[in-house]
Amino acid sequence: MHQLTSLKWILGFYTALFIVFLYGPFLVMGIISFQQGPEGGPQFPIIEWSTFWYKHVMGFAPPSRVAPLPVGEALFRSLTLAFATMIVSTVLGTMTAQAFRTQFKGSGFVFYLVVLGMMVPGILLGLGMALVSDQLGIARTWWGTTFVLHVVYTFPFAFLVMLAIFNRFDSSVEEASWTLGVSPARTFRKVTFPMIFPGVLSAMLFAFTLSYDEFPRTLFTAAGDVTMPIAIYGTFSVEIHPNLFAFGVLTTLFSLALLTVYAILMAMSVRRSQARSSGIQEEIA
Amino acid sequence: MMELVSLTKSYDGVSVVKDVSLTVENDEYLTILGPSGSGKSTLLRVIAGLEWPESGTVFLDGLDIGDQLPHVRGLGFVQQKYALFPHLTIFENVAFGLRNRQTDPLRDENEVRRRTLDMLHLVGLDDLGGRMVGQISGGQKQRVSLARTLVAEPKICLLDEPLGALDANLRERMTVELRRIREALGVTFVHATGNEAEAMAMGDRMVVLDNGRSLQIGSPDQIYDLPASVQVARSLNAYNVMAGDTREGVFYHIGHPLPLPPGILDARYYAVRFGSLSILEAGGKADASDGSIEAAFIASEFVGSRMVYFFRDDHGDILEVEQHLSRSDPLDFSLGERRMLAWPVAEVLAFDAAGDLIAGTSRGIAA
Repeated sequence: MHQLTSLKWILGFYTALFIVFLYGPFLVMGIISFQQGPEGGPQFPIIEWSTFWYKHVMGFAPPSRVAPLPVGEALFRSLTLAFATMIVSTVLGTMTAQAFRTQFKGSGFVFYLVVLGMMVPGILLGLGMALVSDQLGIARTWWGTTFVLHVVYTFPFAFLVMLAIFNRFDSSVEEASWTLGVSPARTFRKVTFPMIFPGVLSAMLFAFTLSYDEFPRTLFTAAGDVTMPIAIYGTFSVEIHPNLFAFGVLTTLFSLALLTVYAILMAMSVRRSQARSSGIQEEIA
Repeated sequence: MMELVSLTKSYDGVSVVKDVSLTVENDEYLTILGPSGSGKSTLLRVIAGLEWPESGTVFLDGLDIGDQLPHVRGLGFVQQKYALFPHLTIFENVAFGLRNRQTDPLRDENEVRRRTLDMLHLVGLDDLGGRMVGQISGGQKQRVSLARTLVAEPKICLLDEPLGALDANLRERMTVELRRIREALGVTFVHATGNEAEAMAMGDRMVVLDNGRSLQIGSPDQIYDLPASVQVARSLNAYNVMAGDTREGVFYHIGHPLPLPPGILDARYYAVRFGSLSILEAGGKADASDGSIEAAFIASEFVGSRMVYFFRDDHGDILEVEQHLSRSDPLDFSLGERRMLAWPVAEVLAFDAAGDLIAGTSRGIAA
């Protein structure tokens, strides 16, 4: 009994520490983002609370010696890239996982080949891609070379998520659909896809977030057209102003909004499946 | 009419279905009896096109459908685990095939509605159309699964142990229901089961499958009265089978002499139906002409209208005795109590070394 109590304390302490390390940086960033401007810098104590740096990010602040963040285009690129990567990786990941259900010859080897994409250090892959495209005379663009590398990077994650989903999937419902005269393609659309949808959502989330803050692969392949993480890094290397933190808070809120959408979709899907098994749902027909 | 022509299927070099040929008539109820692992599920899956056979093919109304995908074969398939669509209501489950099938899908929603409701009515689920799959019981799921298949009016409907997951009470009711529904629609049913009582009760004809081979095809009473081989006799779970050999017209079951019908010289297996055995009074002697063996009582089982007594003979073989309660009251024995079990020699079936029924064995049809 005594041992159990001390174990509880140790685990509790560990959890508290974990939470501090997880949210500490964000908290600091949040506080400093309300620093007085434009004279105040990233330091404690706060000289005076203000929303100056938020206005500065949005472009409402009066001109000062601090240059505005070059984020407009970078943000557009990052979001476009993340969105495109999410779609392509999820589709590819789902198709590949679907192929693995048939246990084709050499599937073990292909599995490692696919997973290698997330194992290879990003900086090497980025550098390699830059060299190859120069050799072959392919222009380095964020929508070309960078996009390809983002897909290479996120596709294995989407694939692994879908593989886990399909492992628990009972294929007898698909067989039932075929024997009812429904073609395999329509069966996938009408039966398989609705049933694996929660997994598809997770795969999309993975692909989006991984691509959204991808750094090393983008650094070498996007040439001059930077994405968000690189634009931010670029401003760091000159001088750090609290406008970065204000921007950080805003993007984090944006991510939270995305996560909320994901959670709502997921909850809806889970609630529907609970209604299926417990009988809460009222009769519809 | 459907013809199976020497279908053979194996997994990783182990054959599961071996050279099965069979003709399924129109408007008949055919049952396939086989223990688990006999290949009956695989056989149905090969017919439905869900598995590819190594050799052999399937003809449906004279047309070779052996290389067609499942969705163009036009056969219905009811799976043991129902395999209902969990994201759809009962109504949508039943209407699914009508709306989504490749050949001739129904565009007219009124027609879909009419046929689906008719079918739900036929299987007795009128009020459950709006429920989700998780909200209905096992027996209801079974009927939804059946309705979903039958609403498309397939020529032939394959049923893979359709009653396997139901409890005994429900199983008996569904037995009657299945026959009624089949007769109402005139669809051919091919019903695989591991339960010999189900196979015999439901089939117009039955096939006995063991180890991937079709052992005997015929009407249930034909097979029950004259199993073609000792394997068939065993799978019917209605015969006491004893192994031994024959010397001068007498069968020796590990040294114990048992009388044979006249003219049999090479029997290696000796079989008597459970119902043909009678238990003699303590210390009683069997008629000299009857077969008899002494055995110790192990257990008894009350099965509704009959009692089944289990005895063990001196060689360790279990002998079952079935007694109809309409004829006599149940008997009480103490564990290990030794009794003489006797049977008329005319009830004996004999099989040769290959396990085949020896011609000339004939037995009066006992009730």
